[in-house]
Amino acid sequence: MKLLNRLREGNLRDWGASFWEQSSPTKRKVIATSLIGFAALAPFMGFGLLDTPVSDYGAVLVYPVGMFILMALGLNIVVGKSGLLDLGYVAFFAIGAYTMAILGTRTSLNTWEIMPIGIALAMLAGLILGLPALRLRGDYLAIVTLGFGEIVRISALNTREIGGPNGIANVPVPPSIGPIKFSLNDQKAFFWVVLIMILLTIWMIRRLSVRRAGRAWEAIRQDEDVAELMGVHTLKYKLWSFSLGAAVGGAAGVLYASKTLFIAPEMFTLNVSILILACVVFGGMGNIWGVVLGAAILAYLPERIRFISDARLLVFGLALVITMNFRPDGLLPRKKREKAIVKSTQDGI
Amino acid sequence: MYNVLFVYLAMAVLISIDTIRRDRIQKGKDQERYVQERTLLGQKTKRVLLELKNLTITFGGVTALNAVNLKIYQGEILALIGPNGAGKTTVFNVVTGVYRATSGEVLLNEQSLDGMKRHHITKIGIARTFQNIRLFGDMTALENVITGTDVHKRSGLLGGLFGMPRARREEKAGRVKAHEILQFIGIDEYSDRLARNLPYGVQRRLEIARALGTNPQLLLLDEPAAGFNPAEKVELANTIKKIRDAGYTVLLIEHDMSLIMGISDRVAVLDFGQKIADDLPSVVQNDKRVIEAYLGVPADAS
Ligand SMILES: Nc1ncnc2c1ncn2[C@@H]1O[C@H](COP(=O)(O)OP(=O)(O)O)[C@@H](O)[C@H]1O
Ligand SMILES: [Mg+2]
Repeated sequence: MKLLNRLREGNLRDWGASFWEQSSPTKRKVIATSLIGFAALAPFMGFGLLDTPVSDYGAVLVYPVGMFILMALGLNIVVGKSGLLDLGYVAFFAIGAYTMAILGTRTSLNTWEIMPIGIALAMLAGLILGLPALRLRGDYLAIVTLGFGEIVRISALNTREIGGPNGIANVPVPPSIGPIKFSLNDQKAFFWVVLIMILLTIWMIRRLSVRRAGRAWEAIRQDEDVAELMGVHTLKYKLWSFSLGAAVGGAAGVLYASKTLFIAPEMFTLNVSILILACVVFGGMGNIWGVVLGAAILAYLPERIRFISDARLLVFGLALVITMNFRPDGLLPRKKREKAIVKSTQDGI
Repeated sequence: MYNVLFVYLAMAVLISIDTIRRDRIQKGKDQERYVQERTLLGQKTKRVLLELKNLTITFGGVTALNAVNLKIYQGEILALIGPNGAGKTTVFNVVTGVYRATSGEVLLNEQSLDGMKRHHITKIGIARTFQNIRLFGDMTALENVITGTDVHKRSGLLGGLFGMPRARREEKAGRVKAHEILQFIGIDEYSDRLARNLPYGVQRRLEIARALGTNPQLLLLDEPAAGFNPAEKVELANTIKKIRDAGYTVLLIEHDMSLIMGISDRVAVLDFGQKIADDLPSVVQNDKRVIEAYLGVPADAS
């Protein structure tokens, strides 16, 4: 019982944050570099131990784990940082993927050249959706975004020019970068690209969090009316939040299409949006490390327990319900601690 | 010998008492004259900062404000008083753009605020506090105030993301200014605490600090002393005076009469959405209609 309480109230995130704050800049650099290095070496670790029944560990690390982390981080900007409930996030992923598939098969552009186009189109879609939808709040916004996700999928389904229900096959893999080759048999290169995209997203979120945009999002999340009365241009910053989230989703989509070689509308159902949202909520809304952890677990677990086939989703759902019961704010909730308190314990020592 | 000394002493005491008394009277007179001069001067030479013209607003069948005219002069403290439900908070809500007036208009520096977005109204110089505290609870006190200062920054999201020189400069300046404001209000020691964990009194003051962060021309305070004990009220009164003396114009909703009489330059009274008085505190205090409004005697029954 005591352990359960500890589990419920303990805040690893606070511990981590205070540890980080008390570290000197050099120590921080060392920690960050070794963490990144460790992550980069991840494909070499795990071996057979972490293999899942269907695919090998190296592949799972790219999809779903890496991709889910990336998309969850993107959605976290929208849901966690600005408090906008977006149930159609898969739409941006789909737009990125279709951009890659269409341009990759019909033009001579390669993945790296298509990437910025995919991101730009996803952002544009975010703006087009956001401009009318972001005037709505809470549940209404959720419903409109949900509808948008479905519209994108159904449009793809009904457009014969882009394959309709058959989708698009033979999407090219990315060209090699120097000695690093992209192939399906050895997905390390894909993993490193995902890792770089994840790191860029984390950098972006961390940077913006302590700047004007982050404060605006935080204010909007906590009390939109007051935010506006304190001079926050709420619509503008909500649009930013939406389109940055969309950009990350679009980037993930481009890479995904370039990795699976084949895409079809059925890959972009509402389920994906819900699952990504579950990653964010499960890990800890608004907290980067919580979202990373949540997405990693929720992406890996269903793959691992594939052997129980049909009961898989049931077990998965049960695990989710139980965890949320004990940790309603997620595994690693957003900041609760106060700098002043961290400081005073420091003085006391 | 002792007698002489005693008489001498008694005379000295009497004289000094008399001087002190006369001093007091003189001071009182000075004060009165000062207030009168200040106000007269204000009305004659000072600019009208905010003007409500024939402001009416109805909610369904309820007329919350009925043809209210009110001028606020630059640099004064104007108290807005009236029984509960008189429409005081509604005035704030119309001025800050929360509600649209049914008819009439609000002018800031002779410019109509009609149809202006709320954040734009804040940007051109009106900031407020809330009757029920509405801080950003998950932010630190400092972040709350910096959020206020953000309104005048010119660098946006991309500038912040890529660390452009102007964004860095503005970020730093905002932080410095927020600390200055917290010091000015006397709560800088709490700057790193989360707003929701602060004591009640500090939260009320932080609301004022956050509003000052937007560098307003006009500061609207909605019952800032609600729930305060007498000592805290005195302290707050001094703070509000300090704010005025620093050049801000203050429109203050408050129920505590001694606080109002102590610091206001003028007092306007609302009753059932109508302005029934607008004058010097000492005049309003003795106004028959005001007393009736507060005692609840219907005007036509007397
Ligand atoms: N949004 C609203 N909808 C309906 N009635 C309102 C609204 N806001 C205020 N009122 C009504 O307007 C009147 C004035 O309210 P208010 O301005 O809050 O009074 P107070 O002087 O106590 O601040 C009250 O009768 C109140 O019920
Ligand atoms: Mg009120």
